[in-house]
Amino acid sequence: MSLFGDLLAPRYLVWLLQGFGVTLALSAAVCFVGTALGLAACCLREIGGPAARRVLAAFVGLLRNTPLLVQLFVWYFAVAALLPSDVTAWLNTPHLLDLGPTTLRWPAYETLAGFVGLTLYAAAYIAEEGRAGINGVRAGQREAALALGLTPVQAFRHIVLPQALRVAWLPIVGQYLNTIKNTSLTMTIGLAELSYASRQVETETFQTFQAFGIATLLYIGAVALVEAAGQALARRAAAGSRA
Amino acid sequence: MNLAVITDNLGYLLLGAWPDGPIGGLALTLILSGLSGLASAALGLVLGIELAMSAGVVRRALVLGLGFFRAIPIVMLIFWSYFLLPILFGVSVPEIGTVVTALSLVGGAYLAYGVAAGIESIGPGQWAAGLALGFGRWQVLRVIILPQAMRAMAPSFVNQWTALIKDTSLAYVIGVPELSFVATQVNNRAMVYPAEIFLFVGAVYGALCLALDRLAAALAQGAQWASRRNRGQPASHLGVPDRGRGAPPWSTEV
Repeated sequence: MSLFGDLLAPRYLVWLLQGFGVTLALSAAVCFVGTALGLAACCLREIGGPAARRVLAAFVGLLRNTPLLVQLFVWYFAVAALLPSDVTAWLNTPHLLDLGPTTLRWPAYETLAGFVGLTLYAAAYIAEEGRAGINGVRAGQREAALALGLTPVQAFRHIVLPQALRVAWLPIVGQYLNTIKNTSLTMTIGLAELSYASRQVETETFQTFQAFGIATLLYIGAVALVEAAGQALARRAAAGSRA
Repeated sequence: MNLAVITDNLGYLLLGAWPDGPIGGLALTLILSGLSGLASAALGLVLGIELAMSAGVVRRALVLGLGFFRAIPIVMLIFWSYFLLPILFGVSVPEIGTVVTALSLVGGAYLAYGVAAGIESIGPGQWAAGLALGFGRWQVLRVIILPQAMRAMAPSFVNQWTALIKDTSLAYVIGVPELSFVATQVNNRAMVYPAEIFLFVGAVYGALCLALDRLAAALAQGAQWASRRNRGQPASHLGVPDRGRGAPPWSTEV
């Protein structure tokens, strides 16, 4: 078996690129919804009552301290079994939503399970990054706001939160990078993302080096690009706050 | 809920086919995480010291190499080791070796930054004092800097171990019979109790990781207490304010 061999046939390259497209689309959706959920949880934990705080802390701890793979299996196997059978049946049949020029296809069950699992996992980590950001804002800031007559919620919303987000932004970008890498786990529940595609190309062609090499380069490219964009945004925000 | 599926398969979930066959289940998860924990600690220590002590081209090459292992998914790295290790060594490598290699490389790459940050958190005065006493650079590192830095690094080693326990589940992709893999086997055999099986397995992982999390928090508190105590002594003794000693990056109160 030669390391490089002939170039991959174009149709296999297409497989890899399609897998990469799935990876990117899934990552984007997970980062978007995960950020919203994570920050909402983190804010609720700050301004909510002690009961809300305890429940959220327990959820976040549970999601962060179990393997993502097991969580995906729970969403894919266990939840499918726990849902009423007609709901499962509805989720498993294809649905089309006619929107005039385009039709939207309801995603397959493994896509849904993968999306929910990855989103909750990312949200738990983002919630913790947000909390660390809030703890990184000096207590005097909040006290000064309260002394000026702002209510605790107003002080949080207008004084603490903007500063906390600036502190938490780069760690949150780190979670986006983790999300891109974590999407590879959805191959275990049959989602045809990049790792799944590379494995498929490898079994079909035996051109292991190229199949894994191209997938690896695509991952590195996506991770490097998102990291650079995140840092550029942070620099712009820092420049904006100085001006 | 039908817990019989758990109790009936408990032995298999905990030990795999052992003693009639290869060990598996939770025991293999612990073995995998223990081995890769030790290997990644050694690798992280060496690479972290190199990262803190080197400059120029060596440092840039190191940063690039570490960046590679931090940028690709562990699943891809497991595929790579599965494919490359036999080529490199000319013999077939057992799957367990493949997984331990991949996890150690990733764990080592992440730990290296913790180790380097720990070394850099020790104030320049300590270096200057050691050099003034006639020690060489590496002697100062070994005798003066590392003993202090290790205390501050301890929590990140434990945290990395927690991450490794979760990551051993990825051995599933090449069919290593650790806890997650045997859980899917039990699930495939029983068919009708996926919720019981996977929630139980999640609880086992959760208990393990939470226990280690507590340990890391206790170590972090110990390190802070020790560094507060140490910071006072030499400075007051010499009458020199201890400048340059910023809070280590992980000591931000959470």
